[in-house]
Amino acid sequence: MIKGNAFYYDGLSSVSQNIDLIIDKEKKQLVFTTLLVGEINWPIEDIEINYNSQIINIHFGSKPVQVIKLDDEEFIIEFTQYLKENGKEGWYQRLINLGTKIHVIIAIAFLGTIVLGYIYLLPIIAERAVVLVPEDYDTELGGGFYNQYIEYCEIDSIKTEALNSFAQHLDLENKKNLKFTVVNSETVNAFALPDGNIIVFTGLLDLMENYDELAGLIGHEVVHVNKRHSMKILCRNAAGYLFVSAILSDVNGIIATISDNINSLQSLSYSRGFEQEADEVGLNIMIKNNIKPEGMINLFKRIQNKHDIDIPAILSSHPLTEDRIQTIKNIIKSKNSRYVENKSLRDLFLELKD
Amino acid sequence: MFGAQPTKTKIIMELINETKKKYKLEFFGIGSEFFGIIIVNWLLTVLSLGFYYPWAKAKKLKFLYGATALNNDRFAFHGTGKEMFVGFIKAIIIIAIIYGVFVLFLFLKMPLIGGLILYAGFIAIVPLAIHGSYRYRMSRTTWRGIRFGYRGNRDEFLLSFYKWLFFTIITLGIYGAWLSINSRRYVMSNVRMGDIAFKYEADGSDYFWMNFKNYFLSIITLGIYSFWWYKDLFAFYVDNLSLEKGEEKISLRSKATGSDFFVLIIINLLITVFTLGLGYAWAVTRTMKFFTEKIEIEGNIDLNAINQTEEDYTDATGEDIGDFLDLDLAM
Repeated sequence: MIKGNAFYYDGLSSVSQNIDLIIDKEKKQLVFTTLLVGEINWPIEDIEINYNSQIINIHFGSKPVQVIKLDDEEFIIEFTQYLKENGKEGWYQRLINLGTKIHVIIAIAFLGTIVLGYIYLLPIIAERAVVLVPEDYDTELGGGFYNQYIEYCEIDSIKTEALNSFAQHLDLENKKNLKFTVVNSETVNAFALPDGNIIVFTGLLDLMENYDELAGLIGHEVVHVNKRHSMKILCRNAAGYLFVSAILSDVNGIIATISDNINSLQSLSYSRGFEQEADEVGLNIMIKNNIKPEGMINLFKRIQNKHDIDIPAILSSHPLTEDRIQTIKNIIKSKNSRYVENKSLRDLFLELKD
Repeated sequence: MFGAQPTKTKIIMELINETKKKYKLEFFGIGSEFFGIIIVNWLLTVLSLGFYYPWAKAKKLKFLYGATALNNDRFAFHGTGKEMFVGFIKAIIIIAIIYGVFVLFLFLKMPLIGGLILYAGFIAIVPLAIHGSYRYRMSRTTWRGIRFGYRGNRDEFLLSFYKWLFFTIITLGIYGAWLSINSRRYVMSNVRMGDIAFKYEADGSDYFWMNFKNYFLSIITLGIYSFWWYKDLFAFYVDNLSLEKGEEKISLRSKATGSDFFVLIIINLLITVFTLGLGYAWAVTRTMKFFTEKIEIEGNIDLNAINQTEEDYTDATGEDIGDFLDLDLAM
C-alpha cells in the first residue's frame, strides 16, 4: 500500500479537493475519499497516466473526465516504481524513459542510416526501377521538352538534314528513332533528350576538323539515349525527394519537386558514371563503324583548348576531362580497331562545316 | 461633501483591487523531455511507414498541453491516436474525392473545369477544417477536468468565410487582413472553458494598418524591424483576447518587446542550425516558455468556480484535413 497527498478534480466544477490517495496493491486500485461522495475506487487498469514535466496527471472516465494531480516528488517516485514493477508503464513510456543520451544516439544512428542510404542505396534502387517506367514516357517527356525548347532557337535546316544523313550512315545500336537538330548558336554544346532528339549547336560543329570527331560526339550522345540516362537521373532525383519527404513526413513538397525536375531536363547533369558509360559504349560504336576512335579524344581536346578558362556546358558536369581522355586512350589500346576512310561521311561532314 | 468624494473612490478602488486576481500562465516542459518524444515518434512513424502519425501527434499534443499550466494546474489533451486515425482516413477520402473529380474532368478533356473544381474544392474545405479542428481540439482539452468547447455554427461560419474570401479575391488580397481577423474573431469568440466564454475583439482595419506599417519599416531596415513586427502580431492576438463569465472578466496583455523576440528567434535559430535540426525540441520549449511568460493575465473570475458545460466531440476529420493542407489551426 502506497499513500500520499494529491489533488482531485471531479469533472463537474474546477474546485480543487485535497485528498489522501491510497494505492491498494492487492486490489490493484486507487482509493480516496471526498466530502461529497465518500469513498471512490478507480481500478488501475482503467486509469490513464500522463507523465508530464515533474507531475503526474491521472485521468479517469470520459464523460466527464475526473483528474487526480500528483505533485509530491516522493509519492511520484513510489508510484512510478509500482507501475514499473507491475508492467503498467506502457511500451511507449518505456521508450521515453530510455533517457536523452539513448535518444541522441538513436537520432544520430537514424540520421546516419538515412544519409548512407540516400547516398549509396537509393541511386542503385532508383536506376533499377527505370525498367518499370514505360519507354513511352521517355518519348512523351523528351518530345514535350523539345517542342518547348526549340521554339526559342534558330534551326539550321540544311545542316540538320546533313547531320541526320550522317547519322544514318552509322550503326548506332539504337532502338528509338533518332532525330538530330542543328541549332545556330555560338554555344559549344550538344545534348540528348530521352525521346531520341539530339540537339547540336553550330558552335560545337565549327570546332571540329574531322568527321571522326563528329562520329565520336554522336556515339557519345546516342548512348545517353540508348541507356535511358535521363530517365535514370529523373528516377534517382524523384526517389531522393520522395525519400527525404517521407522521412520528414512532408506530403506537400513531393509533387512540386518532381515537376520542377521535369522542367529542367536540359540542366540535368549526368553523373560521372553515366558519362563514362557513354564514352566507352560510344567508342565501341565508332570502332564497329570502322571510324578512327581517336576522333573522340581530338574532340575533347579541342573543346578543352577552346575554353581554357570558361568551362563549356558540355564539360561542366564532368570537369575531369584529362582522366576521361586517358581512359579512352587505354580502351583504344586494348582494342583492335580497323580504320576505313568513309567518303560519304566526309562529304556530309564538309556540308556541315559550311 | 467634496471632501468625502476621494474617500469613497478610495474605498471602491480598494474593493476592486481586492477582487482583482492575478493569474499565472506557465510552461514547465523541458527540452530533453520533448526531444525524447519527438525522436520516439519519428522512429515509430518511419518504421510504420507513416501510419503511426496520428498516435505520434496525440503524444506530442499531450506533452505540450500537459506541460502548460494555469495557476499551477496543467491543461490536458485527451485526444487519442485512434480518433485522429479515423479522422486521418476520412480526410484522405475527402481529398481523394476532390482529386478524383479533377482527374475525371481531365479524362473528359475539360482540364479548365477540372482545375477550377480542384481549387474550389480545396478552398471550400479550409473553413470546414478550421471549424472541425476547433470543435475537436477544444472538446479534447481540459483544465482541472473542465472541458473546453467550441460553439461556432458551421454553416454560419462557412457562409461568412466564403463571403470574406470573395471580398479578398476582388480586392486582390487587401481584404485578406479582414478575412483573417474576422475568422479569428468568430472562432475565438465561440470558445468556452466550461461556463467561461472567450471573447476576441479586433478589427480588420487595425490589423491591416499594423501590418502595413511593419511591412514598410521591415523593408527600410533590411528586415531588422521584423522582430518588432512579431511583437505587434503577438500583442494583436493576445491583447484583444479576454474571458468572460457573467459580469466577471479576465483580460490578457502581452509584455513581449521587439528585443525579446530578437533574442528568442536568434537563439532558436542558432540552436537549430548548430545541432543540424536536432535542437528543434529545445527551440519549441523555449518558445512555449517565452509565450506563457510574456502573457499577463488579470481579472476577477474565480477559477475555482468554473462549471462543466461543454459536450464531448470526438470527430478529428477537420483536424486531419488541416494537417494535409499544412495549416496549424487550433491555438
